[in-house]
Amino acid sequence: MDTLLIATFEILSFGAIVVLVVLGLGIIASMMGIFNFAQGEFVLLGAYVTYLVHSVGLPVPLGMLAAPVAVGTLGFVLEKLVVRRFYAAPIVAMLGTYALGLIIREAVRGLTGGLYLSVPEPISGSITIGSLHFATWRGVIVIITLLVMAASHALLAYTSFGLRVRASLENPQLARASGISTGMIYSITFAFGAALAGLAGALIVPVFSLFADLGIRFLIQGFVAVMVGGVGSFAGPVAGASVIGTFSAWLPWLMSPVIADVLVFVLAIIFIKLRPQGLVSGRGVNR
Amino acid sequence: MSSTGTGIQPPPQVIEAARSPVMASAFAARTKVLPILELALLIAASIAPLVLRDYITVYATRVLILCLFALSFDLVWGYAGILSLGQSLFFGMAGYAVALLSRDFGVESIFAVLPAGSLIGLVAALLLAGSLLLGRHPSSVVFVSLGTMTGAYAADRLARGSHYLGGQNGIPSIPPMTIGSHEMSEGPGFYYLVLAILVLIYLMSRFLLRSQFGLALAGLRENEQRIAFFGYKVQHLKAIIFAISGAIAGTAGSLYAFHEGFVWTNMLGVVMSTQVVLYVLFGGSGTLIGAVIGTAIVEGLSFWLSDNYRDIWPIILGVLLLLVIMFRPLGLISLVLGERERVGHFGPGVKEKRNAAP
Repeated sequence: MDTLLIATFEILSFGAIVVLVVLGLGIIASMMGIFNFAQGEFVLLGAYVTYLVHSVGLPVPLGMLAAPVAVGTLGFVLEKLVVRRFYAAPIVAMLGTYALGLIIREAVRGLTGGLYLSVPEPISGSITIGSLHFATWRGVIVIITLLVMAASHALLAYTSFGLRVRASLENPQLARASGISTGMIYSITFAFGAALAGLAGALIVPVFSLFADLGIRFLIQGFVAVMVGGVGSFAGPVAGASVIGTFSAWLPWLMSPVIADVLVFVLAIIFIKLRPQGLVSGRGVNR
Repeated sequence: MSSTGTGIQPPPQVIEAARSPVMASAFAARTKVLPILELALLIAASIAPLVLRDYITVYATRVLILCLFALSFDLVWGYAGILSLGQSLFFGMAGYAVALLSRDFGVESIFAVLPAGSLIGLVAALLLAGSLLLGRHPSSVVFVSLGTMTGAYAADRLARGSHYLGGQNGIPSIPPMTIGSHEMSEGPGFYYLVLAILVLIYLMSRFLLRSQFGLALAGLRENEQRIAFFGYKVQHLKAIIFAISGAIAGTAGSLYAFHEGFVWTNMLGVVMSTQVVLYVLFGGSGTLIGAVIGTAIVEGLSFWLSDNYRDIWPIILGVLLLLVIMFRPLGLISLVLGERERVGHFGPGVKEKRNAAP
């Protein structure tokens, strides 16, 4: 019973991390039709900003607040300068963002000197319930993930900004004709997706520590999750991320971690092959 | 997400034009850049070991092997529009396989290891194509790229975790390859061997891509749906070219393993796949020579610059790649090569002359 509870908590907290990473990727892929291969590096950058703030002696939570702002700003600039050119050709967009990711990754590798750097948890310690101990920080990640998810959904589903985003997605010409600046909407959406990745990186850096290839792992995981869930909707990527997160956390209890890691991806690829539209085949944001 | 087109699309009429007899004769009359370029590079490559110092020749041999690897990626991406981000899977698997052959069975003869490497690449590519490309639903480009990338990542992980494959360290100290009783060690001999193999495979690919099969592939790249409506089995065509490219990557991988004398996990993983995408996009996908030029330039620059600018060199490389993708989507080769010649003409040349006569 105790093991079961611990396992459930592990699965929940890891699932939350995957959801957090995938959310930004999913929003950019679903709302803009761009598969952003630099998303993993946005996560990395968020982690790096947090480390940077920590290393100059400022408190870690401040770094975690700074990370989404910094990464979001960078995303905004990159969209204006680079990504914008690729909307007509989604495949070239993949290659272009891939190059962007390469630049960011190598820059961080140079800055960190290729080392593994650690950042302390802002809220350390553990919560004890009966004879069980749960790491507080992981619990905090779960709560923040739920809040961010709810806020993102509310933003897209209920605000006038969300309405504009959805309009630009459904019918760009009509949206432009109605006076919506679709260019600006795309910039902001991309920046928002980047900021979410930055936040994810900031929150997980105490758990995973900072190293240059942090992003690649999450990139593949994120893409697999988005495809499993289904591109085009808000619920799809979240559902996919939950499934992938659950399996990624659960299978290592049954077999060696290396096999488990690979098996999750192989199963996911088979699933996508058999059901290309994913778990959630609808489009848009359900209210 | 559209499943057709590569994003790098010449206007459709270009293909039509190259096929119509009148245009074909006009085309034949123009000076061709491609053969001149190929010949010049071949001559330069042939005399290189005579003028270069020995350690540079060793480096140049590695570059030639990587050129072969780049060709394999160019075949699938530049000609069939399959974005294989896991090309290193075949390269690395063949490398590991021949390393094991040599370690566990003492087989080093070139006549055993090179065919073995190609076969491994071929079979691995066929299996991957069977699961990714074939099937009831046509696969989107995103899915294929993700699937191949996952394949490379998974292989990397497994090799890292496997004690039998040497884990993180890979398999060191592979003895030299042998031809009969002669040992091929690094140096001009190995260089010319690789050059001969590269030229042979280059010519074979060139012949293949200029055949009717190549025409079907080019159509596939430009408009997959239309080719399917013509009655071609699109997915079979893709699987065939994917398998061929796997075999070439396997050949390159086995050569690489014996040239370097060791194999390690990066050969299998995302690092190597990234490398090859970089080469081909840089030089120009959709021309065989572009892949070779891209590899030579990137590796040449990195040899030259990485000594002095070791830390920022990868960043410069990324920036250059981004600039090429943004402003020269057809690669550096498009600076000298016209659109019409890039697409080229297909089928036997004799027919063309007969048509052009009146």
